[in-house]
Amino acid sequence: MNLSQFNNILRQVFVLPVVALLVVAGALYVQIRGSNVTVNLIQESDARISQATLLSKLIVDEESGLRGYETTGDTRFLQPFYEAESHLQTEIQTLDNMAGADADQKHDIADLRDEHQTWQDAFALPVIATVRGGGQTNDVDLNLHGKVLMDNVRHDLTDIIQKAEASRARRIALWHRQVHSMLLVLLALALGMGVLIGLFTRGRLHAVSAAYRGSLDILSRRAEELYQSEQQLRTTLESIGDGVITCDAEGRIQMMNPVARELTGWSQTEANGRQLEEIFRIVNETTREPVETPVAKVRRLDKIVGMANHHTILLRKDGTELDISDSGAPIHDKAGHTIGIVLVFRDITMERKTQEALIANEKLAVAGRLAATIAHEIHNPLDSVSNLLYLMRNGASPEESVHFMDMAEQELTRVTQISRAMLGLYRESKAPVVVDLKEMLEEILLLMERRLSDLGVTITTEMPEPIEVCAFPAELRQVFTNLITNAAEAAGVNGKVKVSVAPRSASVEANGQKLQAGATVTIADNGEGIPDDVQPHLFQPFFTTKGENGTGLGLWVSRGIINKHGGTITVVSDTSDALHGTWVSVFLATNPTINAGGD
Amino acid sequence: MKQNSNLVLCVDDERIGLEVRKILLERAGYRVLTASDGPTGLAIFSAEPVEAVVLDYSMPGMHGGEIAIQMRQVKPQVPILLLSAYIGLAPEVTAVVDLYMTKGEGAPVLLEKLGSLLQPVS
Repeated sequence: MNLSQFNNILRQVFVLPVVALLVVAGALYVQIRGSNVTVNLIQESDARISQATLLSKLIVDEESGLRGYETTGDTRFLQPFYEAESHLQTEIQTLDNMAGADADQKHDIADLRDEHQTWQDAFALPVIATVRGGGQTNDVDLNLHGKVLMDNVRHDLTDIIQKAEASRARRIALWHRQVHSMLLVLLALALGMGVLIGLFTRGRLHAVSAAYRGSLDILSRRAEELYQSEQQLRTTLESIGDGVITCDAEGRIQMMNPVARELTGWSQTEANGRQLEEIFRIVNETTREPVETPVAKVRRLDKIVGMANHHTILLRKDGTELDISDSGAPIHDKAGHTIGIVLVFRDITMERKTQEALIANEKLAVAGRLAATIAHEIHNPLDSVSNLLYLMRNGASPEESVHFMDMAEQELTRVTQISRAMLGLYRESKAPVVVDLKEMLEEILLLMERRLSDLGVTITTEMPEPIEVCAFPAELRQVFTNLITNAAEAAGVNGKVKVSVAPRSASVEANGQKLQAGATVTIADNGEGIPDDVQPHLFQPFFTTKGENGTGLGLWVSRGIINKHGGTITVVSDTSDALHGTWVSVFLATNPTINAGGD
Repeated sequence: MKQNSNLVLCVDDERIGLEVRKILLERAGYRVLTASDGPTGLAIFSAEPVEAVVLDYSMPGMHGGEIAIQMRQVKPQVPILLLSAYIGLAPEVTAVVDLYMTKGEGAPVLLEKLGSLLQPVS
């Protein structure tokens, strides 16, 4: 139900009683008019009765005056007689003129008028004349005659009054009936209208109440949904593994989830309303300089700030420190204004320790991969030398002995080379030293010779001249051993691997990027190539295509090492039938800026 | 030193190792043929009346296990002694040969093992 429907109902509920009252008032008006007519008629009857009574009195006056004169002969007694007589005709006429008389009543009045005339002419006037003439009027017959005449007059008057009273009584009864019926009609109308208004209003109010209930339902459902969604978000925040802090637009803390409280060491109540910088104090791992918080950065840039921080340390409330990684994002309202900032951070102490462990593990794995070579390169010369010693001990001519010692010396040289190359893998210098890449690669190939020949791979090299770069040699050995092993395994039996190293002079690229001087080592194989869907995963830890034979850490660690050297490592691969193969290029600057924590 | 003239075939890709082993076995009274890779070894094995084989495991192209299997197909009765620079060869490889030993165990062990292989023949 919308608002206009609701207003319609309100109008209807207001208008209907008004209409009903108007109908009742109309009916009442008709009824009252009817009874007013009746009341008028009753008043007419009253007037007729009183007029008739007036006539009776006048006639009595006449008769009394006449009698007084008849007895005394004194004309003063006639005064009432004449007085009454003078009015009588007028009054009779008045009565006759009164409205509402029927023919019978008219007839009665005519009779009265006649009888009175008769009494006056036949008795009163002769008696007056006789008395005035001095005659006797006490004759019984004469007076009886007068009485009869007067009785007639009285009889007429009585008739008139009785009829008027009867009419009056009828009219009063009629009035009573009218009032009664009016009451009934009023009652019926009131009841009818009441029921009608009741039913109608009830119907309308039902509609309104249904709509109201509907609105209430929707409201409560909305409220429930809102509550649920809020609970969902709250629970998500509470159970999320990262620390989450929300700030208002000015960077004051509003909410910290349990992980954030745990990591910072501050409780929600302590932190509430404080500036983030007081609670979330971060410094650079090496410089110990304060680092701009993601919230400050978001306020400055008004955009999401990713987990880009390297080696940030969080100073906890109790003074202990945690390695963390953090990010921030602005919260916008509908209009796009920043109304708050969310900070997400996590403790990466364990993560970094794990990484370090993985890197150490991979170093061992590289050595493990060389185990075949080591065994072969040590056991073979040892075997020859021990056989030669046996021969010499069991009698050899001086010429033979010289020959045997030559051979023994050659074999021992081999062992020495291998042992040197092996040590090179582990002997780590504290600072970068000048490394000849050509020499290093040759040593590595020597170490790997056996393994490569086991794999049936042919190695070619293109290393025209020594090229020196500044680097950590053991780490580079690890990288190149990894890359050559990968290439050889990809090339497979009868495959070819080419190792080349070439200098690169400093230059400026088309896009303005400045390139340092250095060397590029390229290791190419003619294996099947790396499928496009695999390429993006190459440098991810634990990604391996070698099943149980690979740790999945080789390229990940290699890239870490090369990044630390400020170099780059790129992989180009082709899986087509004609050109299949993979080219891995490592660029190393001659004088690189070493990133201490470039992993 | 036993004075017999059993014909022994030595296969190894290590030049010096092979040469020394040849002298050693000849001093021990064997007649010795050498091959520096699998295919050559197999050819000699088929062509000559070889009575025993001293075979290196780790060689480019074709390793000792494969060579032994092929030799068994040609002349199953000829004993094979497998030498290896590695410890712990796969069981399917050691099952094919009569005996195996690790390089560096010394000349007496080699001569003793080879002798035990040839005893029934001599």
